[in-house]
Amino acid sequence: MLRHLRLMFCFAKFSLLGELAFRSNFLLKILVELIWLGILLTFFKTIFGKSSNVAGWNEHEFLFFVGAYYALEGFVETFFLENCVEFSELVRSGNLDFCLLKPIDPQFFITLRRVDWSTAPKILLGFIMISFAMYEIGKPLELWKVPLFLILFLCGCSLAYSFLLLLTALSVWMIRNQSLMEVWWLFTNLMRYPRQIYDSEWALPIRMVFGFIIPALLAVSIPVEFAVKEINIEFTLFLFVIAVVYFQLSRMFFNYSLKYYRSASS
Amino acid sequence: MNKYFNIARLSLKERLTYRGDFLFSSFLRFLPMITSILLWKSVYSSSEQDSLSGFSFKQVIAYLLLVNISRMFSSMPGLATNLARDVREGSIKKYLLQPIDLIGYLMSYRIAHKAAYISTSLVPYIILFGSCASFFDTFPTPVGCAYFILSLMLAFVIGFYFEVCLGMLSFWILEVTSLLYVVTTLSFFLSGHLIPLDLLDTTGWLDVLKNLPFAYLAYFPAAIFLQKISDDDLLLRFFIGVLWALFFFLLSRVILYFGLRKYSAYGA
Repeated sequence: MLRHLRLMFCFAKFSLLGELAFRSNFLLKILVELIWLGILLTFFKTIFGKSSNVAGWNEHEFLFFVGAYYALEGFVETFFLENCVEFSELVRSGNLDFCLLKPIDPQFFITLRRVDWSTAPKILLGFIMISFAMYEIGKPLELWKVPLFLILFLCGCSLAYSFLLLLTALSVWMIRNQSLMEVWWLFTNLMRYPRQIYDSEWALPIRMVFGFIIPALLAVSIPVEFAVKEINIEFTLFLFVIAVVYFQLSRMFFNYSLKYYRSASS
Repeated sequence: MNKYFNIARLSLKERLTYRGDFLFSSFLRFLPMITSILLWKSVYSSSEQDSLSGFSFKQVIAYLLLVNISRMFSSMPGLATNLARDVREGSIKKYLLQPIDLIGYLMSYRIAHKAAYISTSLVPYIILFGSCASFFDTFPTPVGCAYFILSLMLAFVIGFYFEVCLGMLSFWILEVTSLLYVVTTLSFFLSGHLIPLDLLDTTGWLDVLKNLPFAYLAYFPAAIFLQKISDDDLLLRFFIGVLWALFFFLLSRVILYFGLRKYSAYGA
């Protein structure tokens, strides 16, 4: 465990050194993220300029949700997304050999070897939004809820990581996995809004599939509901269990996929 | 002219090689529409109003569907990045050594790509618009349809020359990728891709936003189709759009002229 933490620290350090070699590029990347945040908040403001609540969420609760989503997206993008996207290139070029030969767990090394520092401010900004929303709600988060909210938030991150890992593992068979980003984008789309917007009758199939089987709708909704709405014990426990199950499943599938890696072109 | 036709023909063949991937990604791109429909349904039902900034619920959804058509014509994936890469790596020489106009070549290539993209996306689009037909209360008149098609052509021309100008900045700035990200992100929002521009709370700024070149990339064709632009205003908007197209056309020529004088043909 300590060795893995030390390695993670080294990966993060080297990634930061790499980014700082092209400082203006790095700053522009951060600027893009800030523009995205501006767009997200303008969209949010526009919606609440027209309506006092959306699917039972008032403006401040929704802002909490937006902050949590932004932080979760930032977390996945900072630590995993770039590494997972590059995986298909490693398979195609045969460079995956060099990753598999290292005396370290392949999943750990492949999905964490580079940290994208330009998206790291998103995590901080997300939590700033959460704090601001909490202040606006006027009811501070009870102390006992804080660690539980963080655990649930990490469960949401873990769920998102597991989806990403499952998609990544498919690259071994597909070689050119250009649609990976599109499918991932679809997942983030499902996480972006409270699950209550899917309460329409005709959206029932979506609610069932993405609420229970591939529970993307729960990744952000459940932690936020736990913090600002009434606690739903069943769903809270379900998120915890399903996050563990999906993590194990995705790990097994990833290791299984590596058996089919043909090491071509190396 | 014949050589540009041949470039277009070959590019079309190249593009159609991966039509399976095209179809798959087109379908994936439409699924988020469901989320948008549900979100706006919640907004309209809790606002208890039939119309927000002149848009009914159905019109917002119709608009969000139509901007996909606008972007189908105006988005130029890879154009600026590939052009910048060619300048950076020196491979732009191959165009300069041949009796061919660089921008003309890029235009033929892009027309073919668009033709391939539109033809392969036709089936998913027909399915999408067929299943969402109930969101279209009114259909434009034949003249309105002609204006719509013209606005799509204008979107293509402005989108093309705008991207060419951006890509050719690499004659001066070697690494334009990040700058492109900034512009693409801004364009996504300012073009009205995310939300109809009329809905934005921009007192005083709305007219400015509607007259920027970005608005012609997504908002303008969709607004014409939904008859959101009055007849008096329409010609003026077209005139401004054509001016933008001309501006970027001339700008691209000027940048190319001065860029080639700066270009030192290293690499490759």
